[in-house]
Amino acid sequence: MRIKEHPILKFERGKTIRFSYNGQELVGYEGETIAAALHAAGIKELSKSAVLHRPRGFFCAIGTCSSCLMVVDGVPNVRVCVERLVEGMVVETQQGRGELGGAV
Amino acid sequence: MRNSAEVVIIGGGVIGVAVAYHLAKQGCRDVLVLERDYLASGATGRCGAGVRQQWGTEMNLRMSIPSVKMFESMNHDLEYDGDIEFKQGGYLLLAYTEVGWEQFQKNVALQQQHGLGVRLCTPEEAKEIVPHLNTEGLVGATYNATDGHCNPFHVTDAYAKAARRLGVEIQTFTEVTAIRRSNGQIVGVETTRGPVATKTVVNAGGAWSGQLSAMAGVEIPVRPERHQILVTEPVAPMQGPMVMSFHHHLYCQQTPHGSFIMGLGDPSEVAGFNQRASWQFLEEMAQKITWLLPPLRGVRVVRQWSGLYEMTPDRTPILGGVSGVEGLFLATGFSGHGFMLAPMTGVLLAEAILGLPASLPIEKMDLGRFARGELFYEPSVV
Repeated sequence: MRIKEHPILKFERGKTIRFSYNGQELVGYEGETIAAALHAAGIKELSKSAVLHRPRGFFCAIGTCSSCLMVVDGVPNVRVCVERLVEGMVVETQQGRGELGGAV
Repeated sequence: MRNSAEVVIIGGGVIGVAVAYHLAKQGCRDVLVLERDYLASGATGRCGAGVRQQWGTEMNLRMSIPSVKMFESMNHDLEYDGDIEFKQGGYLLLAYTEVGWEQFQKNVALQQQHGLGVRLCTPEEAKEIVPHLNTEGLVGATYNATDGHCNPFHVTDAYAKAARRLGVEIQTFTEVTAIRRSNGQIVGVETTRGPVATKTVVNAGGAWSGQLSAMAGVEIPVRPERHQILVTEPVAPMQGPMVMSFHHHLYCQQTPHGSFIMGLGDPSEVAGFNQRASWQFLEEMAQKITWLLPPLRGVRVVRQWSGLYEMTPDRTPILGGVSGVEGLFLATGFSGHGFMLAPMTGVLLAEAILGLPASLPIEKMDLGRFARGELFYEPSVV
């Protein structure tokens, strides 16, 4: 879902770019965050809670709450709500804590 | 709050509640613990959460080895409804100079005499234990597998709950403002919530124990010293042991939760009660740790804070009674390793207060050793 018209804000979309989410090809706009593109594509579940493995979605949207940690291009614990989308990005649901090795 | 107690313990850190529990366990249940803030609000809740047995003095070894045994069965022994999160992933201590390495060899010989399964490692062997360790400049290391990590909040909670079940009263946000003496005998304390009559006071006030002792007219050589720490976001388990370098004044361990806790000692830190966190620490810590453990450059810092060591001249605790002041007992001067020695401290103080046979020659660790010149000098402190 995207807001197309707004009484105050005006949206200037960047060009369309492609990325993958758990192997599925999706599109978003240049300049927006990964979370925004996922949300527009109808993806509401971004991670699982650490202990009870319950679904966690878009929550604080400012990089603070840890609800949206995902693996992006092999790097774990990426806060997709504040990370901008890049052409060809590989976004995956993180299993557990995330292996640090991928970040080195 | 009761207005009299057989024993009043000042300080609701892990030491205070451990002493309270062991007193009650020995049958002395009329015990009142007074804490100025909340439980574990001082050094306990700010510490690096390490549990180490690799010490350089006989007394620290005889304190720490049985303490680890007590941590091992603590969930069960204290009938704790939570988990103290004891992880025995070992401690890897690093030597960067020949002098440091010689000291480690002496320490290991002493530690092995006391039955510790510690061993000397080459840099290659150290890298097998911690594969992401940068061994540049490393002369050698020592490793003891039964050292580890434990959650200081849960340990304090476990002792406090067990003590309360046995009848101990614990009052938080209650500050002691005076200690009353009549001639050479303790007779009570004044608090922000009224007076309490008692003949026995335990000073477990950590960095503030010097001020507390002064209230009873006793001067003790403790020096409050700030030490800073940070914690990172959690990642999958990748580092078993605590990695510690006295040469770089640093330590770093991954907790069972997955976060890394690391700290740095600053040799130029001035004595005082400053507990602010500094950006200089953040920068220096990050530089040193990403050099020593390079993959950590991929992990984010979540929080930083500081706490106060209470340093003694020989970096060894001051335990037991004080000659000339009947009823005053000290459990302080832990010099940055009070959390890991808390279980045995609880046992020893309870024995000393109740006049029971002592498990260790605690009289050697008394305040009088400074006047007698019988110091220990612990070489292994960050």
